[in-house]
Amino acid sequence: MTNREAEQRLRDEAKSLLESAKVDYIVGFADGSLKFHTTPLITRNKDDVDHLVINPFMASNLAKFLTELEGRVGIVAKGCDSRSIVSLVQDNKVSREKVVIVGIPCRGMINLSKIEQLAGKESDEIDDITRQGDKVVVKLDGSEKEIPVKEVLFDHCLACELPTPKEYDLLIDEPIPATPDEEASQAKINKLEELSHHERWRFWQNEFSRCIRCYACRNVCPACYCQRCFVEEAEPQWILSIPKWQDNLIFQIIRNIHLAGRCTDCGECERACPVNIPLRSLSKEMYDLVGELFRFKSGMEIDAAPLLTHYELEEAEDFFR
Amino acid sequence: MAQDSEWEPKLVGFLCRWCSYAGADLAGTSRKKYPANIGIIKVPCSGRVDPLFILKALRLGFDGVLVSGCHPGECHYQTGNYRARRKIALTKKFLEYMGIDPRRLQASWISASEGGKFTEVTTQVTKELKEAGPNELFADDK
Amino acid sequence: MNQKISKKDISKLLDELGKEFKVFSPSRESGVTTFAEWDGRDSSFLEWYRNTVISPKAQLQPLYEKMFSFHKDKEGYHLELPPPTDKKLIFGIRPCDAKALMIIDKTFQDTYQDPYYLDKRKNTLLVGLGCTNPYDSCFCTSLGLSPTQSSDVDLMLTDIGDEFLIEAVTDRGIKLIKKTSYLKEATKTDKSKAEEARRQASSKVTRRLDTKDLAKRLLSSFDDQDFWEKVSNKCISCGICTLLCPTCYCFDISDELVKKEGSRFRSGDSCAFPVYTKMPMENPRLEKWRRVRQKVCHKYEFYPMSFEVIACSGCGRCIRLCPVNWDITQILASLPVKVKA
Repeated sequence: MTNREAEQRLRDEAKSLLESAKVDYIVGFADGSLKFHTTPLITRNKDDVDHLVINPFMASNLAKFLTELEGRVGIVAKGCDSRSIVSLVQDNKVSREKVVIVGIPCRGMINLSKIEQLAGKESDEIDDITRQGDKVVVKLDGSEKEIPVKEVLFDHCLACELPTPKEYDLLIDEPIPATPDEEASQAKINKLEELSHHERWRFWQNEFSRCIRCYACRNVCPACYCQRCFVEEAEPQWILSIPKWQDNLIFQIIRNIHLAGRCTDCGECERACPVNIPLRSLSKEMYDLVGELFRFKSGMEIDAAPLLTHYELEEAEDFFR
Repeated sequence: MAQDSEWEPKLVGFLCRWCSYAGADLAGTSRKKYPANIGIIKVPCSGRVDPLFILKALRLGFDGVLVSGCHPGECHYQTGNYRARRKIALTKKFLEYMGIDPRRLQASWISASEGGKFTEVTTQVTKELKEAGPNELFADDK
Repeated sequence: MNQKISKKDISKLLDELGKEFKVFSPSRESGVTTFAEWDGRDSSFLEWYRNTVISPKAQLQPLYEKMFSFHKDKEGYHLELPPPTDKKLIFGIRPCDAKALMIIDKTFQDTYQDPYYLDKRKNTLLVGLGCTNPYDSCFCTSLGLSPTQSSDVDLMLTDIGDEFLIEAVTDRGIKLIKKTSYLKEATKTDKSKAEEARRQASSKVTRRLDTKDLAKRLLSSFDDQDFWEKVSNKCISCGICTLLCPTCYCFDISDELVKKEGSRFRSGDSCAFPVYTKMPMENPRLEKWRRVRQKVCHKYEFYPMSFEVIACSGCGRCIRLCPVNWDITQILASLPVKVKA
């Protein structure tokens, strides 16, 4: 199916879900007010669904909104989003019956920062960006530049293990098989692992010196649904609300440990950060540790027990005296 | 307290009330010597230990953290120590990736009758922390 | 009386100014675009600088600042105030960010004179730089500003190709020109080049905001819960728009204590956070739509009611950096149109 046909099918399905009162809300992507951006569309109105789009800029993880909306929700989900939804169902945070998952098989989302770096211009100065198979064509100043798509997809898309949702109610297009490239997606992390302990700590100290504690990383994350986050505790106060690097760093370390087994590597934390801190280098590491130590992958099996509620009789003992 | 010319590491121990804390008590009543470097916090179960405690301890300047609970299969609450094992394993490996010396987070299974083991473990951990040096992780650079 | 300076001489100019002031210029050394201390060598900002993510307001109201330290001994408590501020010069501030400082001055000079902000403010000189390449998220022209001229700076620079035209705006600016080397007399051609450059830059600001009767329209939509729920449903309540906004100024105060000594800090706070209005008995803005309504009405209705200026300079950072592309100009354009008689 072409993109246009898929979009039309999506709009028709969404409209019929609302008209038949199978759902109260439709949550999907609409065109943003900036070029090459989409914005979440959350609506009860069947006429609004004509704004739904499918394009290579749908980076947001819409599962975030499931823990806020009351009622039944028809949600547009890429593969990674569907894993977040499954993870929420495993946690008993969202009831499966209340969600209609409209699956969108995904070929990967384009990272605007990577395009900006390669083109040498910011996104508002670029005329057009289109994906043509395994190439991306960037039109700028009257000329065209072809870039292999692997150079401009998000790192987490390069490692994608589930482009097509496994758990869904409707699938809008033909399934796409997974072709993960671990090596390419791990490039930043591998660089870090080459540093000594001391150098690594200094690296993170430097990165977190510019954190402004906007909490965008926490708030975009579907798995961060605590009503009261540990940073808001005053008695005892775990970390200061002042954005000192020590407390910024501890915030992120603890956030990642608390999310172990629920983070699906959607990459939203890194994309949302306004000061370019490489947050995925933390969340992907935790994701990999969970896989190595406990052979667990978040959001893959809807009936699986959440990571920390399960245990094997013998495991992970090597450093216990 | 007299000014020590040699630095002594400060270690905090989260000991589960049913096994490890009792084991520490036994070491005391049996007059077994163990290093005074450890400050003990009693928790109901090793599963109570949130990685937040570990990071907070390091932030406050402790040189090391010891988490100790009942042996697997013997937890007073049946499964608490299994949860602890998963959490501490993840925490330890993650902190190592971040660049924190792995000697700063240690764990053990010590039962109520193992006063001797408690002494050995604290002595060994203190020795390793002495080698690791003072915790400068969260110090402000001048 | 107009002067000009070659772009090649900017490094030398900054070095010279550095002898009297702590000079801050656009930089991306830290990993994000911000204003940082001029390091004596990297003037590449002349090529890439459009506007920084962290606005120069951070020089007057830093991310966090120590208000005082305290310690206790036998005689009681002792307070140590921070050292007096150095004289600073911010080189390259855009007209929107300069106007923003003028806007928040009104708050810091209201019934209580805020010593921390005002001390830095009076010791900071502003050398403005007109835009040549506004973003598509900029909308300064709708708020009565020009992207190329400003009355809120001490000196104003206009890009005329290989040189900058320099105009003094205040007495401090005139004094600064008098003691600066590397300046040449500007010609009539330079002045007309500057006018052309200004015209071009202004025409690139395409995003519009209709401010006619805006406060009245907001007032009459205040209780329209359906409207506010609809426009706020995709907001994720992070602090990006508020913490990076040059006209936001809310702060939180916390103490850092270590045994018998400590420090009191103030740091940025955001009305977008649910805990902002949390009190023991209740939270009047628990629901997200109330917080979004508050933010919009504060900037475009309440602030003008108190200080006769809209608390926004159209810099567009909130639009550019929002993770979900929430757009203030779209929200305001979609206000239900009825105006209370």
